[in-house]
Amino acid sequence: MAIPKEAYQALEDIVGEANISNDPAVLDCYRYPLTHTAIHLGPYYRVYTPRGAAVLLPGSTEEVQAIVRLCNKYKIRFKPSSTFWSAWGFPLEDDTIQLDMRRMDKIIEIDEKNMYAVVEPHVIGAILQAEAMKLGLNTHIHGPGSSCSCLASATSLGGLGPDTLYMGHHSENLIGAEWVMADGDVLKVGAAGSGLGWFCCDGPGPSLKGLVRGMIGANGSMGVFTKAAIKLYPWPGPATLPVTGKPPAYKAVLPDNIRAYTLGFPSWKAWADSCYLLWDNMIGYVAHRQFNMFGRDLKGAMVKILSDPTRTLYDIVELAEDPETRKLNDAMMRDYQIVLAGMTPADIDWQDKALDVILKQTGGWKVQGMMQPDLYDWSLLYMIRLGHKNLNLVYGGGYDGAFGLGGTPDFGTSAAEEGGIPRVEEVTAFKREWEKKGNIVASGGDGMMGGIGGMGGGGHGLWENFTHFDPHDKASTEGTLEFFNACSQFGIEKGWGPGMEKMNDYARWTDGYTTPKDIHDRILSAAAQPEAFRYQRKIKETFNPNDLGDAYYRTLDDPGK
Amino acid sequence: MALKDFKADMERCSQCSYCKWVPLDHVKSWRFAKGCPSIAYSNFLSYSARGRYAVALSLLKGQSTITDKVVDIVYKCTTCGSCDVADKICRYNLEPLEMIREMRFHLVEKGKVLPEHTRLIEHIRKEGNMMLEPAARRGDWAKGLDVKIVTREPAGVLFHAGCRASYDKDLQETARSAVAILKKAGVDIGIMGADETCCGGRVYDMGYKDDFKKLAEQTVAVWKKAGVKTVVTACADGYYAFSRLYPKLLGAEIEVFHITQYLDRLIKEGKLKLRKRVPLRVTYHDPCHLGRQGEPYVPWDGKEIKVKNQIVVYEPRRPRYNGAWGVYDPPRDVLKSIPGIELVEMERIREYAWCCGAGGACREAYPEFSGWTAAERIEEARATGAEAIVSACPWCERNFIDAVSATGDKLKVYDVIDLVKQAI
Repeated sequence: MAIPKEAYQALEDIVGEANISNDPAVLDCYRYPLTHTAIHLGPYYRVYTPRGAAVLLPGSTEEVQAIVRLCNKYKIRFKPSSTFWSAWGFPLEDDTIQLDMRRMDKIIEIDEKNMYAVVEPHVIGAILQAEAMKLGLNTHIHGPGSSCSCLASATSLGGLGPDTLYMGHHSENLIGAEWVMADGDVLKVGAAGSGLGWFCCDGPGPSLKGLVRGMIGANGSMGVFTKAAIKLYPWPGPATLPVTGKPPAYKAVLPDNIRAYTLGFPSWKAWADSCYLLWDNMIGYVAHRQFNMFGRDLKGAMVKILSDPTRTLYDIVELAEDPETRKLNDAMMRDYQIVLAGMTPADIDWQDKALDVILKQTGGWKVQGMMQPDLYDWSLLYMIRLGHKNLNLVYGGGYDGAFGLGGTPDFGTSAAEEGGIPRVEEVTAFKREWEKKGNIVASGGDGMMGGIGGMGGGGHGLWENFTHFDPHDKASTEGTLEFFNACSQFGIEKGWGPGMEKMNDYARWTDGYTTPKDIHDRILSAAAQPEAFRYQRKIKETFNPNDLGDAYYRTLDDPGK
Repeated sequence: MALKDFKADMERCSQCSYCKWVPLDHVKSWRFAKGCPSIAYSNFLSYSARGRYAVALSLLKGQSTITDKVVDIVYKCTTCGSCDVADKICRYNLEPLEMIREMRFHLVEKGKVLPEHTRLIEHIRKEGNMMLEPAARRGDWAKGLDVKIVTREPAGVLFHAGCRASYDKDLQETARSAVAILKKAGVDIGIMGADETCCGGRVYDMGYKDDFKKLAEQTVAVWKKAGVKTVVTACADGYYAFSRLYPKLLGAEIEVFHITQYLDRLIKEGKLKLRKRVPLRVTYHDPCHLGRQGEPYVPWDGKEIKVKNQIVVYEPRRPRYNGAWGVYDPPRDVLKSIPGIELVEMERIREYAWCCGAGGACREAYPEFSGWTAAERIEEARATGAEAIVSACPWCERNFIDAVSATGDKLKVYDVIDLVKQAI
């Protein structure tokens, strides 16, 4: 659906002819296939997000403000996105203009003493990390990896990732923001709003972090964030990562104060106990059950393929059946990866000794197969830079996560009843059965990946069961949808509720457009805290009076309305 | 192949945007993190491999047509292959560069071409070169050079000068030096002189695969007649065409070296001694068609299969061109053999090198984009503190010379051959 001609001209006058387009082929580049990654709905075969009305590339806060004001004048929806990972960043309706924030890609400053960076929307994790490391600092890199926008994660989503244990969520790391509000006013949130610098998002000055972010971020639906101040953390490593190797088997030999291990455990209870012991003793820089995303039966083969430039996916069957790889898989069955970073030689020695004590107490071990140099150096670089996160999609291009056993580690690793099967094994058995149907990759049932320490300092874990399929293949895609529907039903029957596979159903529906209101309301009303969404309705009415965002920002009407 | 044969790739694209950057593990700074010149310059998502997959799918589905914008998207790409390398870090079964070339074949078939390319193609059809110069003058660069002409007198090794070096007055001396060095090392070298024609590599990248085939067949026929068994070239485009395209598309089997590989071998065998000091701090630029696209050709004829239900693989095992085995070390080893040379590296090197901007016939069709790309590389070279940027391709060197001249920079531009000549 087109926008008024005079509106298009006015938008062109703001950004310049070179930075606006309504060419159909260009607009189709800004449509996301709903057979894809982390959309947490569907997958729906050959369904795409709507084609927007135009795409713009603003280059400054002033341009963004002018665009937003114009949109308010003409009542045109707008959707900003930085790095366009996942369907969240794309319109829900045809009459929406897409803002591609690519031109706003500067690191405004890195304050070494106070340990924060001020960034524009298109600064990705890898770039911020590289610049911060030169100063002995590091940034949290959230789950989708270092190709994604730090600002987007901090302002508009949750922002959890493998190093959350040490560096928190991006939502926690947001210590200031410049916000072009949905009505076109510009507000600096937190201390920056009083001209006191970017050191605190919760005041002094207008303290709107909670309002701005809402429950799980603004999701690009409440105006446009043009700057974010991101808290940084110590990095006791080299100023530049010394990466060597042939693609894709890049690796880095880091100083001895930075060590990576894959830990294995004899039982799920031991696994959970180790998490508490890590947190209680405050060790760990990165901790994540990362490589299990390839599947319990295939991860040994995959780490060997990925760390050897002569190997390809063709080798996976042979490798998976190799006795040495099977031994590796067995040792890694109940595993996670951990990076220790010591600020001093004494610190790393203490941390490693503490880890050894934890392993002794829980019966765990450092997986020796992952200690051989090529694998060790490969996995260390992987966990630090998180530059390979799209390996989610390596098998055939399609992935999404089901279940999502979030909470304390005990939840996933324990049974509902005394003497019962741990939930993680229930999920594994359930998926193994579905793998037999042939539509999803037979990876061994357990594809659960997630953070060891889902909040800064620990305390929370999340297990997303990675499911891999072929988005080009109708049977595979539709079979995956059937599986995810069954996962939801399984979760409901078990009393866990539907899982991550349905996380975004409330916003986007099977046709790629906004979820019908009755379904939307039913889903959000059944959530744990619907009052939060009713409050967000009031926030939206106040700060987005013309309702120019979309349904990703969770709102519910008051009962009786 | 046809564009529709890439539909699976289009639908399997991860939408991850890795194609825009150098491999993320190799990001060392904000300034030099970008990998794709096309999107770095034009900014719309459409100008990345991810975007071109989406454009191609949109065209195939009839949801859009070939507008001027689409033409711009398809041709404003240097076919450098940076996207191909970055993609294959995490995806083993995507071929974005091949798809981009297929888009060009598709547009050429539809008659949606650029006037600048049309002019070049019409000239190549008549005169056999990319330089809009008469064929009769192709051999002028070798005037006065005591060297065999292989169409008249057999030689052990053919030196292929290439279009750019044959006609570009600033670069002809490099070609002359190459011959002189090889002769000095005792190589039984010959040239084609005026009988040499374009390798066709850039013609292929422009989307004219039939014209490429004709040029290639013509070249192979002349080589065969002249008894040529080994070809050495100083042009990266030529190296790529001869070593990858000729075997793939014609089944032609000939031993091909890039001059840097050959010199490296001669130096290591003690047949070429570099004794004179050349005190210079240099940085080396990896030409795209010698580096990441310079991997050995491995014949393959197979099909897609699935294992473990839905893992996409190929039977038999398909070669994986991801830049791992390109020609990176021989030019560096040659430079390190020159007394006095101090080699410093840029941030983006080897398989993740930034393009010079000349490729894909962008120099001819989009001079501003091409010049901007080269200027970016010059800035990267300056950041190393080097006094000179050295490459192994006359197209790269011409683009750098022009960029240096346009900015008034003092950075010197050399070919590896130029420095070897100084060291003899």
